[in-house]
Amino acid sequence: MSNVDAATMQVVRYGLEAIADDMGYNLVRMGRTTIVKEIMDINCAVLDASGGILAQAHLCPLMMFSLPESAASLLNSGMDLEEGDIIICNDPYLGGQHLLDMQFFSPVFYKGELVAFVANIAHQLDMGGSVPGGVAGGLTEIYQEGLRVPFLKLYRRGQEDREHFNIIASNIRIPEKTMEDFRAQAATTVGGVRRVQELVGKYGLETYRQCTEGLLNYGESIMRHAIHAMPDGIYTGVDYIDDDGYSDEPYKVQVNVHIRGDEMKVDFDGSSKQAQGNVNCTWSCSKGAVFYTMVGIVDPYMVVNSGTFRPITVESEEGLITRPRPPGAVTARSQTMTKITEAMLKAMSEVLPKRVVAGSHGQACTCSFTGVQPESGRRFTYVEIQGGGAGARPSKDGPDGQDLHLGRFMNTPVEAAELEYPVTIERYEFIPDSGGAGRSRGGLSLRRDIRFHTDVLWARYSDRQKFSPQGLFGGKEGSRGALILNPGTPQEARQKSKGVSRIKAGDLLSIRLPGSGGYGPPAEREPERVRWDFINGKISRCSAETDYLVSFNADNTVNLEETGRLRVLSEPKTPKERDTESCDHV
Amino acid sequence: MRISIDVGGTFTDVILVDESTGRFHYAKTPTTHYDLAEGVLNGLQDILNIAGASMEGLRYLIHGTTIGTNAIVEGKGAKVGLLTTEGFEDVLEIRRVARPKEAAFDFEVDNPPPLVPRYLRKGVKERINSKGGVAVPLDEGSLRAAIDTFKRERVEAIVISFLFSFLNPAHELKAAQLSREHYPEALVSLSSEICPEFREYERTCTTVMNGYLGPVIKSYMDNLLKRLNERYGAVRVHIMQSNGGSMTLETARDHSAHLINSGPAGGAMATAFISRLTRHEMAIGADMGGTTFDISIIDKGMPKTTTWGGVTEYPIKLPMVDMKTIGAGGGSIAWIDQGGMLNVGPQSSGSSPGPACYGWGGTLPTVTDANVVVGRLNPSYFLGGKIPLYPDKAREALLKHVAGPMNISLEEAALSIIRIVNANMAKGISGVSVQRGYDLREFILVPFGGAAANHAVDIAEELDIRKIVVPPMAGNFSAVGLAVADVQHDYVRTIAKKQEEVDPAELLNMFRIMEDEGVRQLREENVDEKNIRIEWSADMRYEGQSWELNTPVIKTASLGASELRDVIAAFHALHKQVYSYNEPREHVEFINLRVRAIGKNASLSLPEEPTKPTPLSEGLKEKRPIYFKEKGFVEVPIYERDRFGTGSLIPGPCLIEEQISTTLIPHGWVGEIDKFRNILITPDEQGCDKGGRS
Repeated sequence: MSNVDAATMQVVRYGLEAIADDMGYNLVRMGRTTIVKEIMDINCAVLDASGGILAQAHLCPLMMFSLPESAASLLNSGMDLEEGDIIICNDPYLGGQHLLDMQFFSPVFYKGELVAFVANIAHQLDMGGSVPGGVAGGLTEIYQEGLRVPFLKLYRRGQEDREHFNIIASNIRIPEKTMEDFRAQAATTVGGVRRVQELVGKYGLETYRQCTEGLLNYGESIMRHAIHAMPDGIYTGVDYIDDDGYSDEPYKVQVNVHIRGDEMKVDFDGSSKQAQGNVNCTWSCSKGAVFYTMVGIVDPYMVVNSGTFRPITVESEEGLITRPRPPGAVTARSQTMTKITEAMLKAMSEVLPKRVVAGSHGQACTCSFTGVQPESGRRFTYVEIQGGGAGARPSKDGPDGQDLHLGRFMNTPVEAAELEYPVTIERYEFIPDSGGAGRSRGGLSLRRDIRFHTDVLWARYSDRQKFSPQGLFGGKEGSRGALILNPGTPQEARQKSKGVSRIKAGDLLSIRLPGSGGYGPPAEREPERVRWDFINGKISRCSAETDYLVSFNADNTVNLEETGRLRVLSEPKTPKERDTESCDHV
Repeated sequence: MRISIDVGGTFTDVILVDESTGRFHYAKTPTTHYDLAEGVLNGLQDILNIAGASMEGLRYLIHGTTIGTNAIVEGKGAKVGLLTTEGFEDVLEIRRVARPKEAAFDFEVDNPPPLVPRYLRKGVKERINSKGGVAVPLDEGSLRAAIDTFKRERVEAIVISFLFSFLNPAHELKAAQLSREHYPEALVSLSSEICPEFREYERTCTTVMNGYLGPVIKSYMDNLLKRLNERYGAVRVHIMQSNGGSMTLETARDHSAHLINSGPAGGAMATAFISRLTRHEMAIGADMGGTTFDISIIDKGMPKTTTWGGVTEYPIKLPMVDMKTIGAGGGSIAWIDQGGMLNVGPQSSGSSPGPACYGWGGTLPTVTDANVVVGRLNPSYFLGGKIPLYPDKAREALLKHVAGPMNISLEEAALSIIRIVNANMAKGISGVSVQRGYDLREFILVPFGGAAANHAVDIAEELDIRKIVVPPMAGNFSAVGLAVADVQHDYVRTIAKKQEEVDPAELLNMFRIMEDEGVRQLREENVDEKNIRIEWSADMRYEGQSWELNTPVIKTASLGASELRDVIAAFHALHKQVYSYNEPREHVEFINLRVRAIGKNASLSLPEEPTKPTPLSEGLKEKRPIYFKEKGFVEVPIYERDRFGTGSLIPGPCLIEEQISTTLIPHGWVGEIDKFRNILITPDEQGCDKGGRS
């Protein structure tokens, strides 16, 4: 470590984390929209003068990974930076996520010298483009997705640039709220700048710099240490995206992890070319998926700064789905980002089998319904985001019904939706047998049935209708997702995972999310745990008997003798296309 | 005469206040985990002996217990059957689909399991719509089948939570009636009674909590009352709630969910009490014990309450004192990670094996050990000498696990541990205040609990707080909070209407219904009519928002259009204050109406003492070296707190010892004993250390 003492370094680290966290609290407090205030699809960070991340708030992990990437582009752009400037950017091709995620950067000067940046990123309600809120599969160019803002000084030396505000406001749907979210993001950076200046002042620039450099080295040494302990080799993981919403062809994601000594290189050779539709994964997002997986595997509570990732090189050929060229469309990038995470976990399962999890639902099912309130005649947009099964873990079942790796969100309460919109939600429940069988069972997926009382335009992107969540080490696959209009009626119709279509008043849409994979051979699961799942209706008798090889007595207790016989005699069947409807549920 | 009894994890604290003289007496007795009532009775007898009083003079007895919280943490609640609307049996387990907030990168962490497993959650065919109308009539067949299952499974409590029951409880009431008829042994809780608010998951979870704890609390209460009655005849007992008020034991039997987190609420009430006494409107309560650091915020002399609280990741949608707990305390363990960085906590050695210096078998270095090594703790005066400390064991632990591996001196290692834990606590306080929109420079810091006063000035310096008030009785502080609390009940109804749809007459009617309920309740609890206070408020928001702001409503006999406009104006103003902006042209929605019914207890004060400054030499016990950053060991005076009279000025650097805790005043700060025997610590701008002010 450097010559500054460890306690001072740790105290400065807490100081930086407090600044990042407090910026996050301020943004949540001052923001206008539910996405910022309640879903908290935001993050805040303190960066060093070269754009490297020093500390970030405990918010959405995905969001922070674009900040250092964009900051580096900003420094490369040659833009003059002055005290009080606030620069915004949402360009996926300059390090951003998708156009809805607006980033704010503010340089921090100390005695005239650039010493740091503070930054934040927030998912906005709307940034213009062909559909409200940007939720639509099948768009083919970034120009359709909304207003693309390269580095733009929204504030010059503390003064708001009215013209810039006006141009943006004229290009988006709900300018009042979004412009106020912008002002909240700006105010948050102003507070952050002051706090960083105070921190530097308190310790002196020299000590502060030694501390931050020490912190980056510290992050690096932890990751290096961890990689060094992994066996050298090349490890590969693969997953697929159903389609890009434009054609019906699947897309492949392949990660190749090269471990050598205390360094790691990850490339995407073998992945599909970039898509026509908007499932292309922004470069910072692809890198983020790799970094996220590595932090989770190595130590979820370690310091996460730019130093942490120095030993990991991520490379991708341009023009692949993992690093598209402009003007590729990217709004539904999360469908691909989740597959990169899944492929990484699969690759790393060879390296550290006890640190990975089986395949999760691995997608983000986002639906927006736009229509007119029958009573008031007012227009509404109702957005539904749902989770699914989370992958089984080495010694624990996968959580039933959960949000996704990297992305954090909350569902909308049934009562909140019905109070606000002309809908009735008729079911919201787990789907039995949707979690892949295994020594650890995959988490169950969810079903949400929504009946509409007025005509709506339905835009959505989701995935995993064709490729199942993967099991690990003998664990079975999880169930796939489905979007079904009017199930169980003559009008029943399966719907594509991505696209825009109409739903008529009186129709019922059943959203069925994907489940998740199991971990380890199901026949190794303790019979009592199989019984517990069975009496709780999480698995059917059919699954208990054929997947887990557990036999029950008439009173639903485990028949140990018969179970033992089954497990010794037979290899577990592999009912890949098991028809769960035929199993007798409790 | 007023008595409060606070049952904690290790000690049962008792306070007796003689209301005629204002004198406080206090006692501490070990908590008896095999039978908590035993410790309560011991404590009661002790305090009566100490004060030379008898139960004859008792006017008000209040009891604080963590039994509810413990039952949840340990998973030892009742077996519960849950009735839901068909198709929504899993809402309790789906929660809000979010993984725990702390789990940004952690694949292994889980939300806690649902308190009712799936096989005991039964759907009933019925549906109330979002206007409160019956969309699907209640099917008694499916209801009876579910109750039969519960009976067969011998559940101890039945919880009923149907969709939109807060708008129309008819189906829940019918289900309750049938449950009671067919299975009278089970305690029945209705979501429309316990938490009549929208958001089905939070309402259901809160009501389930009530059912889960009900049988546990009831058996504890029955036992306690029986024992009290056997010894003292009829005794009326009040119990502390999480909202910072009390209720009678009889009421508590049906409202168990209100008792969760009531322990820390006592500390917040006491902080509020001290802030009012010392005429500071804004205060941070900082309770540092062995394992945790509890932060509370006092705004205008009262603790902030929230309806978004909870316990161990279970939400409880009832008003509760807003507290934040972080894993930092005297027992927090210092450790070096793989990157060579020193960390402190959140793992704690707790009270078993305890810090290394206790000599109870602990070998890992803790914050307490660090304090011993730098001389901030007196090894022969810990808890008034009741627990001898072994400095050699502290040094050994620090040398082996911190100083050695880091190749620094023992004292530097100890000071590093202290600085890191302080930075962590400061970060916690900063977050709590920023999150709620406060500027810390307006606040005082009130440290209590065994360890806080030793760290308070360091923390204040980190946060730019300029005044620290170290209260007397810091070791029994929660019990002080119980003694000063009023009887209090909160009521809520969801209205969920846009401002143009709100009929003032309907609003008035809902307020009155809740008010009547509150007044009836307080009368049942023997509260005198003249001591009843009623507060109205409304949870409001702008259209499109999904969070609400609790806005005070002036209680009035005639609520008309102009009063409604006033309420809306108050909301705009409050929104500006809390969120730094408002939108006066936006539509406002009324979501919930709330009534708080308070039975005021006579207000208490600490006895005031005439000014009688004591010369420093009289307070001085000895001089000891203490290790400071950049200064090394410095001989500083060690004072005994009780020797100082009101008005004494005590310049830093020094240590002020008392039985239960130790206050460090570093260089550049000065302490003053105020008329209530608080130590006020402020920056020494007069140069008291050079004899300036005194």
